[in-house]
Amino acid sequence: MTQHTKHHSGSLFQGLVIFVLLAFLTAVEFFIAITNASVLLISIAALLKIGLVVYYYMHVYKLLEDDDEHDHHSYAWKLATNRLGLWLFLLSDAFVFGGMFVARFNLLGFTRPHLNQELGLIVTSALLVSSFFMNRGETQMAQGDRKGFLISTSITFVLGLAFLLGVVFVEWPEAIHEGLTVDGSAAGGIFFLMTGMHAFHVLTGLIFLLIILRNGLRGLYSAEKHWAVEAAAVYWHFVDVVWIFYYPALYLIGKAL
Amino acid sequence: MQNLRHYVVMAILVAIVAVLTYLGLDALELLPVAAAAQAGPIDWLFDLQVKLIAFFFALIIVPMVYSLVVFRRRKGETGDGEHIEGNTSLEVTWTFIPLVIVVILGYIGADNLAQIRRVDPQAEQIKVVGFQWGWRFEYPQGFVSNTLYLPVDKQVVLKMESSDVLHSFWVPEFRVKHDLVPGRVEDYRITPTLVGDYKVRCAEICGTSHAYMLADVKVVPQAEYDAWVSEQAVIAAAEAEAALANPDAGRGEKLYNEAGCKACHSLDGSQGVGPTWKGLWGSQVLLADGSSVLADEGYIIESIREPSAKVHQGFSPNAMPSFAYLKDGQIADLIEFIKTVK
Amino acid sequence: MTPTSTGNFTRALTFFAIGTVVGLALGILLHSLTSGGFDAATYFTDIPSWMLGFLLGTLGFFYGLLGYFGVVRGLVFQVIGTLAGIFLVSAIRAAMGLPFFDGRNFGFHEGAWVFGALVGAVAFLAGVGALTDWWKWALGEETHDHHEDIPGWRKYFGVSLDHKVIGIQYTITSLLLLSVGGLFALIFRTELAQSGLDIISLNFYNTLMSLHGIVMIVSILVGIAGVINYLVPLLIGASDMAFPRLNAFSFWVAVPAAVILLASLGLGGFDTGWTGYAPLATRAPIGIQMFYLGVWVAGWSSILGALNLVATVLRMRAKGMTAFRMPILVWASLATSIISLTATQLIGLSFQMSMFERLFGMPFFNVAKGGNPILFQHLFWFYSHPAVYVFVLPGLGVISELLPVFARKPLFGYKWVALSSIGIALVGFLVWAHHMFTSGMNEYLRVPFMYSTLLVAVPTGVKFFSWVATLWKGKIETPTPMLFVLGGIVVFLLGGLTGPPNATVSTDLHLHDTYFIVGHFHDTMFGGYIFPFFAAIYYWFPKATGKRLNETLGKWHFWLMTPSFIILTLYMMRVGLLGMRRRIADYDPMLGFDFSHLIMTIAAFGIALSVLVMFYNMYKTLKSGELATGNIWNSRSPEWQVPSPMPAHNYEKPFEVVGEPYDYGLPGSTYVKM
Repeated sequence: MTQHTKHHSGSLFQGLVIFVLLAFLTAVEFFIAITNASVLLISIAALLKIGLVVYYYMHVYKLLEDDDEHDHHSYAWKLATNRLGLWLFLLSDAFVFGGMFVARFNLLGFTRPHLNQELGLIVTSALLVSSFFMNRGETQMAQGDRKGFLISTSITFVLGLAFLLGVVFVEWPEAIHEGLTVDGSAAGGIFFLMTGMHAFHVLTGLIFLLIILRNGLRGLYSAEKHWAVEAAAVYWHFVDVVWIFYYPALYLIGKAL
Repeated sequence: MQNLRHYVVMAILVAIVAVLTYLGLDALELLPVAAAAQAGPIDWLFDLQVKLIAFFFALIIVPMVYSLVVFRRRKGETGDGEHIEGNTSLEVTWTFIPLVIVVILGYIGADNLAQIRRVDPQAEQIKVVGFQWGWRFEYPQGFVSNTLYLPVDKQVVLKMESSDVLHSFWVPEFRVKHDLVPGRVEDYRITPTLVGDYKVRCAEICGTSHAYMLADVKVVPQAEYDAWVSEQAVIAAAEAEAALANPDAGRGEKLYNEAGCKACHSLDGSQGVGPTWKGLWGSQVLLADGSSVLADEGYIIESIREPSAKVHQGFSPNAMPSFAYLKDGQIADLIEFIKTVK
Repeated sequence: MTPTSTGNFTRALTFFAIGTVVGLALGILLHSLTSGGFDAATYFTDIPSWMLGFLLGTLGFFYGLLGYFGVVRGLVFQVIGTLAGIFLVSAIRAAMGLPFFDGRNFGFHEGAWVFGALVGAVAFLAGVGALTDWWKWALGEETHDHHEDIPGWRKYFGVSLDHKVIGIQYTITSLLLLSVGGLFALIFRTELAQSGLDIISLNFYNTLMSLHGIVMIVSILVGIAGVINYLVPLLIGASDMAFPRLNAFSFWVAVPAAVILLASLGLGGFDTGWTGYAPLATRAPIGIQMFYLGVWVAGWSSILGALNLVATVLRMRAKGMTAFRMPILVWASLATSIISLTATQLIGLSFQMSMFERLFGMPFFNVAKGGNPILFQHLFWFYSHPAVYVFVLPGLGVISELLPVFARKPLFGYKWVALSSIGIALVGFLVWAHHMFTSGMNEYLRVPFMYSTLLVAVPTGVKFFSWVATLWKGKIETPTPMLFVLGGIVVFLLGGLTGPPNATVSTDLHLHDTYFIVGHFHDTMFGGYIFPFFAAIYYWFPKATGKRLNETLGKWHFWLMTPSFIILTLYMMRVGLLGMRRRIADYDPMLGFDFSHLIMTIAAFGIALSVLVMFYNMYKTLKSGELATGNIWNSRSPEWQVPSPMPAHNYEKPFEVVGEPYDYGLPGSTYVKM
């Protein structure tokens, strides 16, 4: 038996608690935005959300887990190495999103595009709930509950798809209709760039989910060996983390133009 | 103590090499003549930097070459070098001292920058427009010139604009350069101190003829400057009047060459960024939306003032900047010229 | 070389000739069909036709050499994929009522070309076989952990998972790109040899000048990947990199990237320089999209290669190899990779934004619609400054690695040198706006960036002083690798010393966009990369091939290249100080620069000739060179404790680190226990 640290993947209950906290913080953000719009407070709420997702949903602490340091052919070693590789990839990807984030403030300062707040809340909720189900699905797989994993992951997929369709086929036409066009202004350009690049990552996430659903159905994963599931989940949560930055940046911070 | 001999020899060599390097570089006259007040502090700092370069060059090269000679493996020699792993105090020294030097240099640099950015609230303003691929200087007295006349020993602030892409204003003798950014007005303050003829050349890659984007700069005594300005103002006013009454194709051709039309509109029918002027006058112009319009006076005036109003089919709608600054008389001259291009 | 390979080579040349002629003819035909009539005078000056000829010629060459395999398959897929992508976008446009063809963009709408090129790159990867295993994993299929390489030289032209093969693939590709970039330089240096010359058009000059920059940069990225991928596993005692398939992908993605970059020549070129600034880029010919996309695709190679390196160093070191017992080159590679992994995304972003401005009208850099041209510069330089440390840190690591071997002394202050690489990498993230002092950026930012830029001199100084101290009291020999190490130090010193005048805002206002800058960065690039890269080749060639490069030819290479380069750079700086701007196709004879430029052109040809000497040396040695199967440099490093060429799986049994890496001169000390 290989040694593992005391941290487990968390329980289903823990996943629920974290979700409730995230939902609460989102409501707080929204409330701050419509009352006194303090950038500092909104940022703190967002950072707290990110901390929760990165720690509890993405279980970043697993990077420090023991493994078979010198047997490079053992599963434990490969798992830990793959995990490191995935996080390095996310670190790199974060720079793209960070760059666009900086560009948004360089171009628009403390103004923001005029967007449909209801739609914004709806798609944000869809993504947040999808993260809950993704975490649930991964936890279930870690506990050997293959059926639960399939159901939870399917729900994740549906919600993620709802987010994608909501952004691309409802938000975007609405924005264009309101005069926020791709080529009309820098505000339009940056809005479509940020939501578009994020949506693209949601799309790749959805493809990743389809892959693990298909392979999961064929019984390829077990409680001991389900790296692809963990990877898909962590990637999915990363995409959610980006939105936790982008939602306030586009919808909440600054004076609407 | 045998090391002491090495150190003494090297110290002497470093001093010699440093001094010789500096003297050599100094003798080369590395910079063009200084023709602006801003050049003073810059040249002074540059000289300091050359001294430092000479010193550090010597400090590295001398021990290197010395070691290569003294500690080379001679024929038949076996064995390794001396087992020296490091020396913490030495490491700290050669980290700390450069750090101190860097901070001091930074301070000197900041002070130097402040010196060259002194603002004279009485500075005369001249508008500079850079475009692909020429310069135009619009004087507050109401005329436009292709040569930049500047009075000696007085600060001017050039208000710089670009019609199209990034350009950069640089007269090497003035030292300071500054970019022209489309959509913004950039201030460039300079106090020429040496009467003479110079050239301003674009220093930011701006397309095909970037190499040739230049204009004459003449620094003249105040009296001569004032005389030139008054003269130009009078000429411009007279020309404007004359042009309205008697448009002249020759003046129009001059404008074609100097105002920038030449960059995009050919006279021989060849394809350019903009439609050719060959046969333009009186022709039917096919527009982007499929309709057509007669190339008459009204069309040409509108196309010069508001280029995006009617875009010739097959050409980019945003390529031509507005030339609304041209006076009615100048446009009339241009039209006369266009009429001659068959 | 075996007899069959020689036969293959003849066949390859024949097919190259056929392919070139067919491509050229096809191009001329297409051109005349679309521009209404033949014009004999333009036959041989139609650059797009030549590019098509060159593409098909290259395809023919490799087909003749290999048959339908590996890179050939990749290129065929790339061509088909490109056409498919072009067709798809054009068809969608047609369905929307827009014209299928676009006369002003070499036949197709700009979006079609861009999408086509992107699809082509992905298709290349599928065709060469770099995606196969991952595709299988997605479908839930198992794959082998190890893939046996096909025997002989053919393995270098297809997907191999062996880091040593990949390292050599990278290195050869880098030398190829170096030659292409160098050729461009020779052409425009000929144009510059005298004022008023008109050998090439202004637009062609601008394109060659721009391509010279970016092709050299890609050549450097690919070259350091070669050095790092070949050596790091050997240095830390690993049998391969952490992610071998990712490693193969990282190499192969650079190939279609280079094809796309060079394709810009056939699509009207571009005139912005390798910095690709908007707003000039917004109105540049369509070649700029190939430039942007080529760099974007190449970025994947950099980023994923860096990811692999970091994981490898963190996870696969031999027993006993604590952080401060790693070979110094591993520290350098780690520092480089930290930058590559992260900052590269920003050049991708800035280029992507400029591409979208052209394709979709997103006005990021158009002031009239709320955009900001200076934003491009900030995003661009946030990568491109740290990038130059990516370019030089490995080379500086090679210098640190080889000095102890040839001075027979420990690397002086090893810990400080190791940390100086990390220090340079970190501080390097804080200096980017020193490229923008004249740009009209926020005034109050200039002084802080001056301070941070000057600060980089401190860790860099630590390296120089440590190198000198390493030589001190050594027992120094100077075979060819050591000559290039020493040359690198001297040349990089010139680069380092000419840094502070650029770092200081007021003096930079004179120096920016002049040949002084060109001199400065050629010093740093040659000193920090070219010279150490050549040192690495001469030093590790025997390890890779079991043969030693000819020492006489090596010395000819060095003694021809070094004075040529020093003359070149000194003259560059001289004319720059006196008023010679950069990126200009011609200069005013009244400036009196003609003689200097003539000297510079001759020097450039001198450098080129010296590199040809090295190529000849490599060819001759591979064919019939002096055998060198043992520890010819008497190095303590692990890779030299096993025979050359390096065994297929590196070390039969993992070694253990029992001492310090550079304890030369300490009797009885060992570094590794095999």
